[in-house]
Amino acid sequence: MRWIVFRQVAISCLLVALALPAAARTRPHYGGTLKVEIEGDPWTRTGAQPGSIARRLVFDSLTRIDADGVAAPALAIRWASENDDHRWQFWLRPGVHFQDGSTLTSAAVEESLTGSCGTNCPWTAVHAVGSMVVFTGDAPIPNLPELLAGDDFLIALAGPANSSVAMAMGPLIGPFIGTGAFQVESFSNGALTLTANESSWEGRPFLDKIEIAGHKSTRDQVLDLSVGRADLIEVPAEQLRQAHEQRLTVIASPPVDLLALAVADGDVLSNPNLRAAIALAVDRMAISNVIFQKQGEIAASLLPASVTGYSFLFPADRDLNKARELRGGLTPPPITLSTEGRPAMLLAAQRIALNLREAGFNVQVAGAGAPKHADIVLLRLTLQSNQPQAGLESLLRRVGVAIPVRENSPAGLFRVERDFLATHTLIPLLYLPRAYAVSGRVRDLRLSHDGEPLLGGASIQNSQ
Amino acid sequence: MKLGWLIMVVASVLMGQAAGAAPSPWDQPAAILADQIAGMLGPGQASLTVRNLSTIPNDEIPSIRRLLQQDLKARGVLVSDAESANAIRVTLSENVRERLWVAEMVEGNETRVAMVHVEPGISQRAQPVGGLTLRKQTVLTSREPVLTALETADSLIAVEPEEIVIYLHTAEGWREQKRVGIGQKRPLARDPRGVIFLSSSGDGFDIFVAGMACSGSNQSAKPAEDWTLRCRESDDPWILVQPPVTQASGATQGAATQMDISVTPFKAFYNAARNYFTGVVNFSPGIDLPPFYSAAQLVRSASDAPMLIEGIDGKVQILDNAVLKPVTGTRDWGSDFAALQSGCGAGTQIVASGSGEALGDSLRAYELPAQEAIPASAPLAMDGTVTAMWSAPDGKSLFAVVRNAADQYEVDRVSASCN
Repeated sequence: MRWIVFRQVAISCLLVALALPAAARTRPHYGGTLKVEIEGDPWTRTGAQPGSIARRLVFDSLTRIDADGVAAPALAIRWASENDDHRWQFWLRPGVHFQDGSTLTSAAVEESLTGSCGTNCPWTAVHAVGSMVVFTGDAPIPNLPELLAGDDFLIALAGPANSSVAMAMGPLIGPFIGTGAFQVESFSNGALTLTANESSWEGRPFLDKIEIAGHKSTRDQVLDLSVGRADLIEVPAEQLRQAHEQRLTVIASPPVDLLALAVADGDVLSNPNLRAAIALAVDRMAISNVIFQKQGEIAASLLPASVTGYSFLFPADRDLNKARELRGGLTPPPITLSTEGRPAMLLAAQRIALNLREAGFNVQVAGAGAPKHADIVLLRLTLQSNQPQAGLESLLRRVGVAIPVRENSPAGLFRVERDFLATHTLIPLLYLPRAYAVSGRVRDLRLSHDGEPLLGGASIQNSQ
Repeated sequence: MKLGWLIMVVASVLMGQAAGAAPSPWDQPAAILADQIAGMLGPGQASLTVRNLSTIPNDEIPSIRRLLQQDLKARGVLVSDAESANAIRVTLSENVRERLWVAEMVEGNETRVAMVHVEPGISQRAQPVGGLTLRKQTVLTSREPVLTALETADSLIAVEPEEIVIYLHTAEGWREQKRVGIGQKRPLARDPRGVIFLSSSGDGFDIFVAGMACSGSNQSAKPAEDWTLRCRESDDPWILVQPPVTQASGATQGAATQMDISVTPFKAFYNAARNYFTGVVNFSPGIDLPPFYSAAQLVRSASDAPMLIEGIDGKVQILDNAVLKPVTGTRDWGSDFAALQSGCGAGTQIVASGSGEALGDSLRAYELPAQEAIPASAPLAMDGTVTAMWSAPDGKSLFAVVRNAADQYEVDRVSASCN
């Protein structure tokens, strides 16, 4: 009897539910706090990574890269080059303010770029001229608009910040006032809290707050997402398949992270044949299949196939015999191989060491915190532009090679890549996507061209 | 030498056409690639392999191979199956922007490379089916967000978050003539909205954006070139539905011109700090309206023209005789809709954007004979996310703003034809 009543109630509820009008999709709602968990630090840059998730929310750059890989206006509304790309003028967007209320001026931009740009600057000098920022270079700077969109050139209010505010920031390093959609509220216990910038030049973001908890293991992140303590977590490429199996809502980018070996061409590996032997000895297929669960795109080129279409011209197959032949019976002294701290990177480094030992090299793997002068470093480099010229130039700059890439034709770009890779100082291995899992209440989340979540346009369901 | 090759390329393309064969999209890239190969190899014999790594259908590969063979032959390179010292490996590849054909010429230990980029083909859209067919025509593209726009006889007035842009009609399309700053004092919203309507006098227009109202007028014989624009701070209610207006040209325009019905101007107060209407309107609906995002008037007959609103909770309701009635069948609706007097079926349909988050948004027409939305057309694919929609002044078409993957904005005119 009780079962029959229960069944009737259930059927009635079902019918009522079916009869109710299902809600249509609405415009994004304002308000709410988005909880983000990441493995790295929310603020401080690590290794060869271009930046941090928070910096892009707090700071803007002069330009941004649109979905076609082309530089689009951001803090600069237009630009022009002169003198065969040796001189560039950027006109600032009027009416933009820093989060402390001060006006964005060309002098502030000059000061910020002078402070942030180290020895590997694309330009020789930067000057404020009226509402313009003028860059000059001893060499041509053909891809400057695209390069300026990179995280190295975010515009921050330089100089000592208000001391009481600075105290509240705790261990936060460097300037923290920008023009971005969010401003820093506090930083404590490894968690950074950002609040909406009401006067953002792009319009007040939908979210009221973003809380970014750093240094969380992937396991903890998944757990917190499952119990509602997190709204957005990172999904490493090697966990993507598992995330899909667990039916998590995953947003993934195209392959944007290049795994590559940076090989020092001095001391132990000064002989180019030894470096070529290393390139031939690495088993990319095994690294992709075993460690990264087939989520990577095997690469022997700097730019991925989706950007150029010619990457197949760079052979990626392992050739152990040729590697041994190139080594030519030489027994080089022990080689150190280091990498960043992620477990998958360490596994990949150990696998590469095994490959190299099979080719006759004596390799020691040093993990995180290893001396910085390792002979080989396994790097993760982010492709900062999917426009081939700028993408190639920014990748090369990231490994300390300043080559202005002016070639427009695919054949010309291929020659630049081929000539650089022939030195075997950088050996591409794999391209990996970036991915995030989100809770059911996150809406309108898109990824940037380089796989960063664009939280300025995201909102939370039913927060209004 | 180069000129000679160019003449040969052009001649071979022309010969192919003269021979009566329909021009193929592969004629030109095949000729250029053959030209480069022959330039590197010189006359002689070579083997040829063609592999396809692109989205070109595999059944087109034999014809591409034949084209390459012909073009190489015309340049003195004979393709032979016999073992040859020279091998040509052609790979049909592509990247996200374009196709790329790559030839590797292998001569002993040396490999040389030639490349030709090929423009991407135009994708074919499936023929839509249903009670009526929606079609779109792009009116304007802009790097800046377009909130709304109004077409007059010879002008297009586009409203951007911070500026009003007047375009003049020319033989080449719309040409920007004038930009006027709106002069907002308060910060912009992330999801800015705006409306523009012909002024009641018919010789100008009224614009509402968050916290501001602007009016445009002209008295000259050349209206398009002499618009006077004035903006002021305002919290006045926005016009959402307008009664018919006689334009300066004499044409009668308005959302309800097809039927002889009386339309009250429907105005609603907008929450300037957010992106919705508060629910307070300029007439007494007989019931408290909830805050809402969108509203449209559904003209069913001369005596039956209820308002349709979408609340901020996503519920679509009809305001009929002081009663809000829920509408079913709106699960697939997005946040924007507008009325379209197509003349098909019941005469007026509601066209709604899609509910997906993907960049590939769509529009679909619905009939609402009672409280259920019934699809009246197949979805019309849009090239991005629909960010705004409104009915044209004559009601016979509507406009949609679409933000595409490259963050460019496109204003599309959408009209319908009866099946």
